[in-house]
Amino acid sequence: MWQWLYKLGSPRHFYEMTTSFLPWLKGVTYFLLIVGLVWGLGFAPPDYQMGDNYRIIYIHVPTALGAMWIYVMMAVMAAMHMIWNIKVADMVAKSSALVGAGFCAVALFTGAVWGRPTWGVYWIWDAKLTSFLILFFVYIGVIALRSAFDSETSGSKAASVLTLVGVVNLPIIYYAAVWWNTLHQPPSELSLSSQGANPPEIWIPAFFTGFGLIGLVFVFVIMRTRNEILWRERRAQWVQDLVKQEEGRA
Amino acid sequence: MPKFQFDGLADFFAMGGYAFYVWLAYAFFFVVMGWNLIQPRLERRRILKLLQARQAREERNATVPTQEEREHA
Repeated sequence: MWQWLYKLGSPRHFYEMTTSFLPWLKGVTYFLLIVGLVWGLGFAPPDYQMGDNYRIIYIHVPTALGAMWIYVMMAVMAAMHMIWNIKVADMVAKSSALVGAGFCAVALFTGAVWGRPTWGVYWIWDAKLTSFLILFFVYIGVIALRSAFDSETSGSKAASVLTLVGVVNLPIIYYAAVWWNTLHQPPSELSLSSQGANPPEIWIPAFFTGFGLIGLVFVFVIMRTRNEILWRERRAQWVQDLVKQEEGRA
Repeated sequence: MPKFQFDGLADFFAMGGYAFYVWLAYAFFFVVMGWNLIQPRLERRRILKLLQARQAREERNATVPTQEEREHA
């Protein structure tokens, strides 16, 4: 197990392992997403208060949670990069920033569109929404800071520090709706019986989209990290061989 | 087995009157996810092309005789 993890720290092993793993991950991910989205859009019963508008929740909640978990992953990678100077960790952190910013944008957009018919407004400066908007800006800041440096090493150091500072925002977002009386509701409790407020018919499709989106995060991050490896290791012999092989295939 | 909640496709697209909001949200979702899927693919192709061109250039340079070799010939 540790050896396996240790190997992932080598760019070449990361690249080779993901070559065989990625098609499987994609297959499972697309299956989960298609089942979850079709079920959520067409087969889950409408909410007794929100009608069919609540179907937006099937993409809003997982992308919002995803945006936060991607940040956690990015912060762990940034710490690993700073402490042990693991190159792959930095590449994963760089890839995560772009993916996380995208998830953040989807969560904000779908939340606003859901909020208009439900709350009567697209946007309101409540604690949950505001702290989430800050998360989006932190993502943008990390991406911009990295690209502002000509040197790759300085850029990744600066981005790592900013990433770790931005972690303070995460508990604020997560507990905002619990600590303060916000318009955004606190996390719903799921019920196993079909008489409860959130019966299985409602939340099971959310689990499909949720796990599907977790898979999708890994697909996106792995694809970007592989590109990053090819570029940064471009002078290594194994990349040179791989480039030659790809030429024969194209 | 869950059953289809709408009476036909037209009713499905109407989304109980929330069509604008539901489909706008899902459209944005698909645009962002689609971009995330396509962009790294294009990036990969770009990197491979660049590295291939570099390799070809280096091979060409290797076959050009150096000054010393030319003088010997």
